[in-house]
Amino acid sequence: MAIGPFDESARERLSAMADGEIDGVEPASLCAGWAADEAARRDWHTWHLIGDVLRSEDLASDPRRDRELCVAIRTRLQQEPVVLAPSRGLAGHRGRWAVGGAIAAGMVLFVGTFTVIHPTNDASPVVAQADRGPVAVAPAPLPGTVPAGEEPVVADMRMIRDAQLDRYLAAHKQFAGTSALGVPSAFLRGATLDTASR
Amino acid sequence: MVLRALAPLTLAWAVLAHAAPVCGQPLVAASAPQNDVRSWLLRIHDAAGRRNFQGTFVVSGGGYVASARISHFCEGPNQYERIESLDGKQRKVYRYNEVVHTVWPASHIAMIEQRGMLSSFPALLQAGDDGIGDWYEVRAEGSDRVAGHDADVLAVRARDPLRYGYRLWADHASGLLLRAEVLGEKGDVLETSAFSEVAIGVRPQPEAVLQAMRRLDGYRVVRPLLTPTRLESEGWTMRQIAPGFRQVSCVSRQIDPPGEASGASASPPVVQSIYSDGLTYVSVFIEPFRPERHTRPFLAAVGATSTLAQRQGDWWVTVVGDTPPATLRMFAAALERRKP
Repeated sequence: MAIGPFDESARERLSAMADGEIDGVEPASLCAGWAADEAARRDWHTWHLIGDVLRSEDLASDPRRDRELCVAIRTRLQQEPVVLAPSRGLAGHRGRWAVGGAIAAGMVLFVGTFTVIHPTNDASPVVAQADRGPVAVAPAPLPGTVPAGEEPVVADMRMIRDAQLDRYLAAHKQFAGTSALGVPSAFLRGATLDTASR
Repeated sequence: MVLRALAPLTLAWAVLAHAAPVCGQPLVAASAPQNDVRSWLLRIHDAAGRRNFQGTFVVSGGGYVASARISHFCEGPNQYERIESLDGKQRKVYRYNEVVHTVWPASHIAMIEQRGMLSSFPALLQAGDDGIGDWYEVRAEGSDRVAGHDADVLAVRARDPLRYGYRLWADHASGLLLRAEVLGEKGDVLETSAFSEVAIGVRPQPEAVLQAMRRLDGYRVVRPLLTPTRLESEGWTMRQIAPGFRQVSCVSRQIDPPGEASGASASPPVVQSIYSDGLTYVSVFIEPFRPERHTRPFLAAVGATSTLAQRQGDWWVTVVGDTPPATLRMFAAALERRKP
């Protein structure tokens, strides 16, 4: 869509749009013009900034911040995203995933800005990450592909917690419920924690 | 046969009873002569067995918080307890000495257990089991206030990286343990269990607990079976036990949750071998490897509890303990299948 110089009337329409008074198809062309005109971008930001500051001073910000944010998001999106687990429909391809380095279908913990977590029914959390620092990656190889004694990887129990694990915890708790810290204390601790949930 | 009459408590007691004398560190709090530390620890145990109290108990760590309403009564040698979970699914736990009932009202399931290890304070007091002081040292750290009560603070430091340390707050007046922190290697708090409020010295109402334990009409009663066994007779051996730990029990059992353990789909029994250093426990679970269930090895930690699971030949080994992961690895590595 060819847009001419962002003239005064367009600026007024933009102002109206900022106030939420324009609908239909016009916003699309206004936005295209806005994106191409630096002055209009500045106005657009200023108007929103005024509105934001009126609502809360915490929202006051420099226009560059938005740009930096956009750039940062774009950069990170380029670095990522990695598909970390096949969907259930791809279950037949698991062998390939496992052989191919086992990034997939596993457990990835991270301290990332953008995260997506889709628990699946087969108890393999699917985690997409958009940051560079995975804390731990636990490959989920095919059953039987793990040599005995292979060092497993640290994971956050909250993410792998399932009924399975709870059974061990509950069984352990029956004994661990007693310690030198006093019967009630340890027993109460065990009884308070709901590992054997039913 | 139901498991009973284990002796880990004696072991447990020994830590505290003997930790103080071996404590070589100067005390921080000038107010606490060294032999007082020992008497405080004695009091903690004593209070647990003799005081009547009622309060709200909160356990938090690793991103979870769970709380329960607790009543604890003593009458002569008998102990009674009622614990009602305040978070998540409704669950009530009743205890009369070694008998523990766990009741889930929503699913109408009641689990009845005999927990031999919960009994017998006298045994503790007589324990002359030494050596645990080699692994922990106890130090007085002055006083504080917890849940409205003046408390004495004790630091229990692990002497090696195979176990966690603790900080304990004991009620100054009664000795009751009001708060306990499990400390990581760097002194970070992994888990806290504490009373948020507690009334000490309440009127005992043991009959209320017993009545609730008799009221099981309409409940499906499940009794988990623990069959004592030996690691060796199951075809296993623990080449080397982590320093300071010793085996306190070994059972063959179902670990499926109550209500699922019966029927054709029941899992094969799991061997559970339990080790303790007196303060903390490690369980080693061994079961046949089943691909559909044992899909991936992992090492996980939440709060103070770590779990290590991995395949070992035709077997699946799960090690659970309130210890650093290194300790669990040690146990897993030392487990050996004996030649038939």
